[in-house]
Amino acid sequence: MSVLPPLGPPGRDAASEQHDHGRELLAVAPELDAIDLVQLDDQTMELNMGPQHPSTHGVLRLVLNLDGEVVRGCRPDIGFLHTGFEKDFERHSYQQCIPYTDRMDYLSPLSNNLGFSLAAERLLGVEVPPRGQYLRVIMCELARIASHLIWYGTTALDLGATTPFVYAWREREKILDINELVSGVRMHTSFIRVGGLMADVPAEFYGMVEEVVKTFPHHIDEYETLITGNPIFRERTQGLGVLSAEDAINYGVTGPTLRGSGVPYDLRKAQPYSSYDHFDFDVPIGQRGDIYDRYLVRMREMRESLRIIDQAMAGLPEGPVNSTDRKVALPPRNEINTSMESLIRHFKLVTEGFRVPTGTVYQAIESPRGELGFLLVSDGSNRPYRCKVRAPSFSNLSALPHMAQGELLSDLVALIGSIDIVLGDVDR
Amino acid sequence: MTDVGESTGTRLATGMRALNLLRRELPDAVLATDEVLGEVTIRVGRDRLVEVARLLRDHEEARYDLPLYVTAVDWPDREPDAPRFDVVYQLRSMRHNDVIRLVVQVPEDDPRVPTLEGVFAGMDWHEREAYDLIGIQFEGHHDLRRILLPDDWEGHPLRKDYVSFGEPIAFTHNLEWALPAQERPPEMPGSSR
Repeated sequence: MSVLPPLGPPGRDAASEQHDHGRELLAVAPELDAIDLVQLDDQTMELNMGPQHPSTHGVLRLVLNLDGEVVRGCRPDIGFLHTGFEKDFERHSYQQCIPYTDRMDYLSPLSNNLGFSLAAERLLGVEVPPRGQYLRVIMCELARIASHLIWYGTTALDLGATTPFVYAWREREKILDINELVSGVRMHTSFIRVGGLMADVPAEFYGMVEEVVKTFPHHIDEYETLITGNPIFRERTQGLGVLSAEDAINYGVTGPTLRGSGVPYDLRKAQPYSSYDHFDFDVPIGQRGDIYDRYLVRMREMRESLRIIDQAMAGLPEGPVNSTDRKVALPPRNEINTSMESLIRHFKLVTEGFRVPTGTVYQAIESPRGELGFLLVSDGSNRPYRCKVRAPSFSNLSALPHMAQGELLSDLVALIGSIDIVLGDVDR
Repeated sequence: MTDVGESTGTRLATGMRALNLLRRELPDAVLATDEVLGEVTIRVGRDRLVEVARLLRDHEEARYDLPLYVTAVDWPDREPDAPRFDVVYQLRSMRHNDVIRLVVQVPEDDPRVPTLEGVFAGMDWHEREAYDLIGIQFEGHHDLRRILLPDDWEGHPLRKDYVSFGEPIAFTHNLEWALPAQERPPEMPGSSR
């Protein structure tokens, strides 16, 4: 908190002259002019927002420099959730790293599983069969919808709309039920693994996914009825928190936040992985780069995800879901009972894991938040020598001070919601 | 709503575009190149890093304008004269749909590289992270503080000689390592009792 400026004779600028003029009109004696109000407007205040604040979506602390209600400066303080996953990777075998990836971006764990698995598979030279690739796509797109639903509910809640939150949670349950069906776990599924999947999907899976594909367009219509045309919501989001395409790129912003600024870059299209090039879908982009555009992009992305799931379900191939490379994949259960080699192989893979050839790869995927990349360095052992996670939320959040400049404190809440950060992803 | 590009099957970004450009425009800046699994890594000297990054960002043929990250890989067991740290930069060109990896090698006793935050605003936080976790010094960075760990943390955890897990447990084979001299049983070698 800065101190009041020293009292002194009023300056000779235009404002002061007007001041003098006013004083003459009212015949106020000069000595009664205790504080020159004109000098007060460079007073700013430091305000801590978070780490315990509902709209920071986790443990994010913002040190704000406020001029009245206007944000003049914003310094994010992160690291409250730092767990050192990258160090943990270095002492675990590759398959043991998968549960760690779940816990980074905990709102779409399957995307993280996929990124790590693809990186390791490229080093290993292992190809996942088509059915495995399609199921990965279906599960990742379901995770994207679930993640966007949380964003939709919490962002609306931050802006004072409580109903959308309840709606979004109701529908997200359907997707978590599918997670539970296929993996036994609702959130940290570890379903996608190096070399394929945890297991093939049970028979009930098809009906449940079809139910989602059939009912969700109607639900998204409901969400849009609640929020998209809502004058209060538009008033609080349109034209605010604008991020130009150039600035977005310069800050390394990716994902829906970048596409909201009008840059049509989506890794699923640009550098397809896991059979994404088999599916027909559009990449929605915004025009003005404001909070409202980011909202529209994510709403439309949910519909595009449904299109992808629909096509993947229709074209889901038969066959195995896991690689048949016995250096990586566990032998089938029935073989373990009869074949000594399979038994030994199973034992070795579970206790020691597989060895990965020496090399370095960077594998990026389009997570719900943007470009999620894994730099994986192998020294030929059964553990990653170094694994750097390029977390989309980290780069996206680094652009927040730039976006917050000159906005109102109350709009900052909408702004944080619109870049859709997950602090587990930021801090790792 | 726009439909970008066309499906071209599984497409890998190779970085060949950057390598060709650098070989033509700044041939003496490229110290070594390496290609593993279709990904090109270009090793540059730290004195030329800023120049190389600017060229890759601004040249029409390159346009590597999206900063992905900077990190470092610790190789303490390299041959004695080799530098210990690989500082790894990754940049993406959305216009040409390509990714390039730049590596700058720095020695243990002088882990300095020039900052790239003047070229890419997005490198600011990534450089702070690399400083925080591995101890790389980014010269000219305006605010090189720890970002993930507390300010009073000691050491840089992603270095290989930083042991972050386990407590030293005394077994007969490692008593000298696990216990200070005055706590060792008198019959053990190195005991001060």
